[in-house]
Amino acid sequence: MNGILLTAAPARFAGRIAMNADAPLPHPDLLAAIPRLRRYARVLTGDASRADDLVQETLARGWEKRRLWAAGTDLRAWLFTIMHNVFVNQRAAAVREAQNVSLDGDGESGAAWQLPVRAPQQTHVELIEVLRELSRLPPDQREVLMLAAVEEMRYEEIAAVLSIPVGTVMSRLSRAREKLRRTVNDTAAESVPPLKIVR
Amino acid sequence: MDRLATTDDDLNAWVDGQMPAERRASFEQTLARDPALAARVLELQRQNAWLRSALDPVLHEPLPQSLVDAARPPAKRAQSRPWLTAMVASAAMLVVGAVSGWYARDAVLERSGTPTTFARQAALTHALYAADANRPVEVWATEEKRLVTWLTKRLGFPVHAPDLNSAGYALVGGRLVAGNEQPTALFMYENAAKNRLTLQARKQPAGAQETAFRYAIEDGVGVYYWIDDQCGYALSGTLDRTQLLAIGRLVYAQLAVAEATTK
Repeated sequence: MNGILLTAAPARFAGRIAMNADAPLPHPDLLAAIPRLRRYARVLTGDASRADDLVQETLARGWEKRRLWAAGTDLRAWLFTIMHNVFVNQRAAAVREAQNVSLDGDGESGAAWQLPVRAPQQTHVELIEVLRELSRLPPDQREVLMLAAVEEMRYEEIAAVLSIPVGTVMSRLSRAREKLRRTVNDTAAESVPPLKIVR
Repeated sequence: MDRLATTDDDLNAWVDGQMPAERRASFEQTLARDPALAARVLELQRQNAWLRSALDPVLHEPLPQSLVDAARPPAKRAQSRPWLTAMVASAAMLVVGAVSGWYARDAVLERSGTPTTFARQAALTHALYAADANRPVEVWATEEKRLVTWLTKRLGFPVHAPDLNSAGYALVGGRLVAGNEQPTALFMYENAAKNRLTLQARKQPAGAQETAFRYAIEDGVGVYYWIDDQCGYALSGTLDRTQLLAIGRLVYAQLAVAEATTK
């Protein structure tokens, strides 16, 4: 009997279900979130078609788990959370597989990473450079930097998406920026018009 | 603000527009007095701007059809709505079923060639066994562990009997029942007033797409049913919808926890 019977369901869990028993995900919001999911996936995987596969898997999981989405909360953050989890699982599986066939390398894809975007019209060397640096960051730092600098998520939201403490978000962000800073400084210097401090 | 008190976190928060209002004024004063700090802020702002300019083009790329499709609700994706026809057929069968009993149901099914809906089947099974005073279950709750092991083996996936005592329902026992396409596990519960509930679980036949939490009334029996992780669940009883939903939530939450802990 014990081990099979689970008495107390977490209240948080039950509450979420209560709000969504019959509610589907809002389709327009879901559609609107895709471009951002694609961009994030592109940076995570470093490959356009793998990125789209990741987005597709994320959307499928979203529909499967839709009762767990609390209506009225940020759908985008919820989807990013799913994507992070799918990505982490895929990466872990890839690492396991690599170990099984005893390939060399640490399983992290520094070399295989492609530039996530075609060079924009006004082909700035700096942009290519910044992307290259981004690709060289450890995935943990890359994720945090993407969510903070590009997705402009709140630090607390990032912590929730990645399931890490806010302090860890902050330290990864600092390390990522410091690494990027060195390169960008070297390349940039005088070629870019000074940006105003806007606040 | 003291120059020494300015941390990386302050810089980040400032650059990302996330500095709390009460810190902002003093940080800005420090910034105005400290050219080195201002230079670092400028660098980080430039970095953000570059990252966005480099990556924003992805946002404007046309969406592949596969992703547009993936954003649609799964039920709508599975073309028309065969279940709607099935429901109408079921409604008709209700009358026939009430008059002619169990065998007429099989005859109708055979004639139409359409499998009955999960909800309808659950309601019929509930009505059949819940009305049985002497032998509603095959294995009684006193042998719950054996029951669960047996059903798990027969169904081919981990089956759990949720604890509904908090809702006033105690486990009576369970049995294996024949489903249309898949064998189904049935757990029966009973409250002090001898009112009975059944929870039925089965592996979803391939191709079943509907996953939402749904409610149906079949033959006076209310059924909440849903699909989770390739398994279909139906909670049936003659309670009103609100009560049944409350218990449905309890079941769902417990199964989700059980699922998470067995994986």
